[in-house]
Amino acid sequence: MSEQALSTPQTERSPLWYRLDRLRSSFAGSAVLGLLAIAALLGLWEWLATLYNVPLWLVPKPSNFLGRLVSDWQMIGGHAIATSITIVEGFALGVLIAVPLALAIAAIPALERGLYPVIVFLNIMPKTVIGPILIVWFGIGPLVAALIVFLMCFFPILVDAMSGFKAVDKRLFYISRTMGANEWQSFWKFRLPAAMPHIFSGMKIGVVKAVEGVIVAEFIASNRGLGFMVMQASAFMDISLMFAGLVAAAIVALFFNGAMSVAERVLMPWSRAGH
Amino acid sequence: MNQVSMTSALSTGQTSVAGASITAQAITKTYGEGPAAFHALGPIDLDIKPGEFVSLIGPSGCGKSTTLLLASGLEPLSSGTLEVDGKPLTRPLSEVGIVFQDHLLLDFRTALDNVMLQQEIRGLDKAVIRERADMLFDRLGLKGAQKKYPRQLSGGMRQRVSIARALVHDPSMLLMDEPFGALDAITRTQIRHDLEMLWLETRKTVLFITHSIEEAVGLSDRVLVMSTSPGRIIEEIKIDLPRPRPAHLGEYPEFSAYAEKIYSIFAKLGVYKF
Repeated sequence: MSEQALSTPQTERSPLWYRLDRLRSSFAGSAVLGLLAIAALLGLWEWLATLYNVPLWLVPKPSNFLGRLVSDWQMIGGHAIATSITIVEGFALGVLIAVPLALAIAAIPALERGLYPVIVFLNIMPKTVIGPILIVWFGIGPLVAALIVFLMCFFPILVDAMSGFKAVDKRLFYISRTMGANEWQSFWKFRLPAAMPHIFSGMKIGVVKAVEGVIVAEFIASNRGLGFMVMQASAFMDISLMFAGLVAAAIVALFFNGAMSVAERVLMPWSRAGH
Repeated sequence: MNQVSMTSALSTGQTSVAGASITAQAITKTYGEGPAAFHALGPIDLDIKPGEFVSLIGPSGCGKSTTLLLASGLEPLSSGTLEVDGKPLTRPLSEVGIVFQDHLLLDFRTALDNVMLQQEIRGLDKAVIRERADMLFDRLGLKGAQKKYPRQLSGGMRQRVSIARALVHDPSMLLMDEPFGALDAITRTQIRHDLEMLWLETRKTVLFITHSIEEAVGLSDRVLVMSTSPGRIIEEIKIDLPRPRPAHLGEYPEFSAYAEKIYSIFAKLGVYKF
């Protein structure tokens, strides 16, 4: 069978296989195939759960938790928005502090020697440990969760931005100086865009850390958001709501990763231009 | 003073000599201080006339690049005096275009936008510079490459864009630090010819750094041979060959004589160990 498939030239493949192959290689096609696969998996889950009569409090059926997503959409949506705002706040704070700090560290070697041990220590420390301390300081609420998100995404952005600013070729400064560029122009026209690919790869890691961290942060330190909602559902043994929260959290993560890809495409069109 | 104003008036026109002069006396460069100081260059003298094409050739570490950075005011002198167009140089020269071995184009700008950066930062007239950019793209064989990003261009094309960027604001001086060093031999010969033709038309002062004897003899009015530790000029060779010079320089018996002369200097210096 496999021998036969191997000996069959590409052009003589059946039209169905050919079309499926085409479908797989296009973006819309891969999205459709992905959705089909998920639907099949959920269908299997639904069928098995019904077949073996699994109790709802142990493992809910897809129809249960997807149903909750629909029936409780206002409550779940509200928490999803709270979570998203927390991510945006923490992440924006991370970018706004990490990028200028990276520039300063790259420009002033003494600053690097002085700050690097502190940065390494803070980076290596598990960030959630600081949660209880922040709760003492600020009380339980989304602010503490945002601060934890900030700590989580701050370091990857800082480290990548630093290497980005350092990687700018010295001869590029020479060129900018022969043009008579002032400090401001040399930053906006040369340094920042040249460091952008590095900053972006840091921001991409930062977003992943942020959407991961936000849920944990909300478990321990918030009274709003999907993490808080799942904890509460757990207290009430409302397992279908917990699963609905899981799906909602995945959707939020998907949204932020997608937003980063779009931002990258808009801000750095050159990185996508083909040959 | 009179001559200064005359030269700068010419530099905007299309006349035969539009370059600046460079006069250096006993310039040196030392990096660092105290026992760790490294004496990189000099003392050397330079006397480059307006519109002259001068090459610096020598083994690695002989201070060629340092000479170029000093002559453009990008690095301060450790001692000596340096005058451009009769005026002492106190800050980075701006009437200058600079090309390095790597194209150093900005990935995030198209070829044209890279060139137009000169206009943006200098605040020059957009329409005038755009016209000059298009002219240079034509002359440098870059027709239709305006909207391409650097990574969409070949190595030779990128270096051509880099040359266009260095010339678009009509500077009086062109500084080139091994500009063809990273290109293949065929591209190098072609781009050498294109540069010569452009130079014949505009007559900017060119300070050209190279490792290649063929490039030095093929392009220059004068070749300065340098030696290491510390970098200094040990020989000056006037190249008296008709222009434009051919692709195959071996056509001239004089070429072989010039090349032979430089080789023998290198041999004396122990640059080659055969």
